[in-house]
Amino acid sequence: METFVDVSVCAVPTWTAVMINLLIRWSWRPRWIGARHFWFAFIALSAFSVCRRLWFSRSSKAEKPSTYDEVDSTSAVVDLRFEVFESAKMADLDRQIEQLKRCEPLTESEVKSLCLKAMEILVEESNVQRVDAPVTICGDIHGQFYDMKELFKVGGDCPKTNYLFLGDFVDRGFYSIETFLLLLALKVRYPDRITLIRGNHESRQITQVYGFYDECLRKYGSVNVWRYCTDIFDYLSLSALIENKIFSVHGGLSPAISTLDQIRTIDRKQEVPHDGGMCDLMWSDPEDVVDGWGLSPRGAGFLFGSSVVTSFNHSNNIDYICRAHQLVMEGYKWMFNNQIVTVWSAPNYCYRCGNVAAILELNENLEKQFRVFEAAPQESRGAPVKKPPPDYFL
Amino acid sequence: MEWESDEKELKAAGAEALGGGRRGLRIGGWEIEWEEKVQTSHFPEMVFGESSLVLKHVNSGIKISFNAFDALCGWKKEALPPVEVPAAAQWKSRSNSDLQEDHPDTRENEGKEKRPFSELVLSCKPTDEVILDYDYTFTTPYCGSASIERSLQSGERAPDEGSCNPHWEDCQEQIDMVALASKESILFYDEVILYEDELGDNGVSLLTVKVRVMPTGWFLLLRFWLRVDGVLMRLRDTRMHCTFRESTEPIILRESCWREATFKALASKGYPTDSAAYSDPGAISERLPIVKRKTQKLVIT
Repeated sequence: METFVDVSVCAVPTWTAVMINLLIRWSWRPRWIGARHFWFAFIALSAFSVCRRLWFSRSSKAEKPSTYDEVDSTSAVVDLRFEVFESAKMADLDRQIEQLKRCEPLTESEVKSLCLKAMEILVEESNVQRVDAPVTICGDIHGQFYDMKELFKVGGDCPKTNYLFLGDFVDRGFYSIETFLLLLALKVRYPDRITLIRGNHESRQITQVYGFYDECLRKYGSVNVWRYCTDIFDYLSLSALIENKIFSVHGGLSPAISTLDQIRTIDRKQEVPHDGGMCDLMWSDPEDVVDGWGLSPRGAGFLFGSSVVTSFNHSNNIDYICRAHQLVMEGYKWMFNNQIVTVWSAPNYCYRCGNVAAILELNENLEKQFRVFEAAPQESRGAPVKKPPPDYFL
Repeated sequence: MEWESDEKELKAAGAEALGGGRRGLRIGGWEIEWEEKVQTSHFPEMVFGESSLVLKHVNSGIKISFNAFDALCGWKKEALPPVEVPAAAQWKSRSNSDLQEDHPDTRENEGKEKRPFSELVLSCKPTDEVILDYDYTFTTPYCGSASIERSLQSGERAPDEGSCNPHWEDCQEQIDMVALASKESILFYDEVILYEDELGDNGVSLLTVKVRVMPTGWFLLLRFWLRVDGVLMRLRDTRMHCTFRESTEPIILRESCWREATFKALASKGYPTDSAAYSDPGAISERLPIVKRKTQKLVIT
């Protein structure tokens, strides 16, 4: 494909040169000495370009693993230097993705540059990021790296399958770093194929209590990686809208938000606040025993009932809401007469809960299929989890 | 919504209500009864209902067990008022203003009356929010279940089984911690989680029981551990010890020790106040002052 493009790119100027010659009544090979030089230079440059291009595409293909040799063929880049630079970056990124897939973390400087690249992409995204079908929606992962690999086994590899992750990539599990970096690297590599939105755990405060901060400190000996990652958290989008019909968010609704445009006006580039619309989108829960709005017994955090969802869906012309945030033993759970669904993608949560996980596949016609999966078998995990030795507790 | 059966209809069909506060009826030789043991729809996120620890003394029939169901019954009965998280103060002013944005004609929310210990407080106006009011920390006074279970295989059913109730009486004896500290070989060891909740990412509530069996006796620890981030910690430990001996009825000692401290109080003593420093209750229990402690002995009457 690329070779064809190259040949045609070179053929066009050659052909143009011949036509110009004919036009000014010379034979196809110009006799005038200056024009002949010009013509040869043109041919030489074109040939050189073809050779460079052929040589490069062969060598970069050889480096790439078989699963990822599907290169975007649409980009027939004219500027050669730019292309060489870009391809080198992609090859490097592909190497990092392969490394992360083996659950090996990147170096501190690699994380830094990955985060910078991700920031450029994420900053352009809307608070209500548009997503096209087909897409597969995934709930909380919580650093359960090997279980996320199961997820990709069940749902298909990215970029062959488009993904939407609803946040809570980190904390609780043993591999928050590898989990988040793999998702982020895929985002940088295939920005249109994977969408990541923010969960309540993508926050400086929460990660300091529930594991991600400690993991960074333990694996890198410094908190720099935690800083780069939490800075990126601030850029993650708050919600997604699939084909204008399915609204996706980590937590739920907010009494301060009744239209999607109200979400669009939020300035999201900040730490998750303790209250307000942005906080609610990541923290609130649907609740059976209330109909309208409820307040959690904790004194902070909204609960919303059936009528709230009905009116939100109606006024925004959406079919249903897809959210995560709460553990569901069966992997997914519909509520309020199929107006909202919770999707949970961390099987055997915290390595002890015994639940199954689910992802929601939507085809191009938005037809739903839940895929339920179990935790990765013990032998496919890195280090075996040993039963604690007998303890002389008192 | 409770369904009420019609007396006349029942009589006509030859059925009768069970009565005595029980829900159900007798009909056609059947007794049909419905019972809701823990009257709530709010349970910990993870309930390990299939897990239990059972210790049974074969000769006397004494059975001591630990299970999530009994512990949750205890939680429901104790019904402590909910603990407010630090953000709650901010929220009180906030939620009012939110509702006012939506409904400019909203009235004062302040006059709302809070019924203690019910799960729901319905506000007077339909546009107001409903405040859920139950102990979301799942704090339980549970310290194990004890019963007498005579073996039916021997054929000799105890004539007065009903009166054979084990109960715990306060005593002067103490569990011999010095003896337990000796490194006797452990023949059996396990730990089970009965229930666990993350308090919606506001801390942890965990009920576990672990046991070790040595050549001279068994020892167990039932631990309820609660940390509400930025607010308080509660540790309710129940320890039981039994030394093996020849006589028929074993002596079982039980020590309950309840500790509690607020983060504020810990800060005033110079202890760290970040929640990450309090992930292992065993390591920090000494920092929490004791609020209740007693030792009891199992007595069968």
